[in-house]
Amino acid sequence: MRRSVVLLICSLSGLASATTLAQEGHPLTGTWSGDWGSGPSKRTHVTMVMAWDGKTVTGTINPGPDAVAVQSITLDVTTWTIRFEADGKDSAGMPVHIAAEGRVEDIASAHRTISGTWRQGTTKADFKLTRD
Amino acid sequence: MRRNALLGLTATILLGWTALAAQRAASAVYDSERQIRLEGVVTRVDWVNPRAFFFVDVRDGDVVANWAVEFGNPIELERNRWKRSTLRIGDIVIVDATPARDVTRQVLARSVVHKATGKRLFELPAARPRASLKLPPPRWPDGQIRLGPPAGQKGYWGAASVKGLVESKAASVRMNDEGLLMDLSEVDRVAPFQPWAKAVYLHRQRTRLKDDPIARCMPPGGPRQFMRPNGFQFIEQRELGRILVLMGGGNRNWRVIYTDGRPQGQAAEVVLSFFGNSVGRWDKDVLVVDSIGYNERFWFTNGGLPHTEALHLVERFSRPNLDILRYEVTVDDPRTYTRPWTGGWTVQWVPGEEIEEYFCEENAESTFIR
Repeated sequence: MRRSVVLLICSLSGLASATTLAQEGHPLTGTWSGDWGSGPSKRTHVTMVMAWDGKTVTGTINPGPDAVAVQSITLDVTTWTIRFEADGKDSAGMPVHIAAEGRVEDIASAHRTISGTWRQGTTKADFKLTRD
Repeated sequence: MRRNALLGLTATILLGWTALAAQRAASAVYDSERQIRLEGVVTRVDWVNPRAFFFVDVRDGDVVANWAVEFGNPIELERNRWKRSTLRIGDIVIVDATPARDVTRQVLARSVVHKATGKRLFELPAARPRASLKLPPPRWPDGQIRLGPPAGQKGYWGAASVKGLVESKAASVRMNDEGLLMDLSEVDRVAPFQPWAKAVYLHRQRTRLKDDPIARCMPPGGPRQFMRPNGFQFIEQRELGRILVLMGGGNRNWRVIYTDGRPQGQAAEVVLSFFGNSVGRWDKDVLVVDSIGYNERFWFTNGGLPHTEALHLVERFSRPNLDILRYEVTVDDPRTYTRPWTGGWTVQWVPGEEIEEYFCEENAESTFIR
């Protein structure tokens, strides 16, 4: 019972905070989090930060010690399709190329998402990111 | 053509109901393509700002359903001599209304008739143009224009002459009271958008402003603070070197314009906020205000023009006579627009009155609708 109450309070707090911190600027700007993987049981967490300087969208995957700079990000505003590519390292530390294509959904919402296809090396998977 | 006709119909229905749309886009909530008639017993009256509701029990055979009827803004209704006691619990009314888009039992009243007497209730008269005497603007003893009332009087700034910000050279772009374009093909005349910004603006327009942050009671930063239904006033604290802008609608927000000669802050260092960092100076009879440091959590005009943290506004306030405030704003946001652009409007003085209490939160959430 007590656990349920705590969970409820945490959920409501999270909801309120997400609403309060909604961003309304460029649709890609901000911190996005989610995961990619080839199945429900094989998911890898991803945090992606993007910024718009008026001409170019720049981005970083998993900022921190293992950060990967995104080489290119394009957004087709007629279909809200985003494509990005980066060179990172796999779990064994070997170089691996990342190429992803997805669609930005519900662009006017504070909780917009990007979902699509994530290619990492020879692995083809799906991904979904939600704007924090 | 059909879309234009529908937008025109929407505009007609909403004419005179400006304040109704105070915190959210009525177009997003109500489906103007449908009309329904309700007859029932009044069970509750919520005479609160920004939107007044009453509730009626409507019988359909053996089933009784309670409907929420939105019928106006109490401030506007009181100005037109309607009172909270005009409608009483137990009265039987006939309501012609526009229903909600979803399955909620909620309507926007077009007319309310008291069944026993046949008297039509809550009808707003057509706006009458005020005769302007063109009195000179009030001034301080040193000759500087006063933005508030003349000494010893009261009043505030009321209705804006437009409902949305448009680049001045566009002449006129037709839009309804919520800032929805009557014709989306006029979008390129609104502002010099970057492609992403145009796409976002069109999305907001096509979804009838349903994601407007103001519906979540976020403050009306930027020029929007001067186009809200319940007006604003300037409190000039000359001894402190600042002007306070007190807003009548929304959350009764206030903004500070520093006139003590301080320099503008560095854009990269100011704390981002809804009303930005504003410094002002008088250029003869014009107050020129430079503002930076805006966050991205609000729409800076009705209708959903986008912006980024790079937004830089230069506002010019002048008062050619007692009754008119001329507002002009230059929008410079190179991440959103291809070049700086300027628009503006006038605001009408409301003499002898005070801004009334008006809190967005009062009935902003729909959960009170059963």
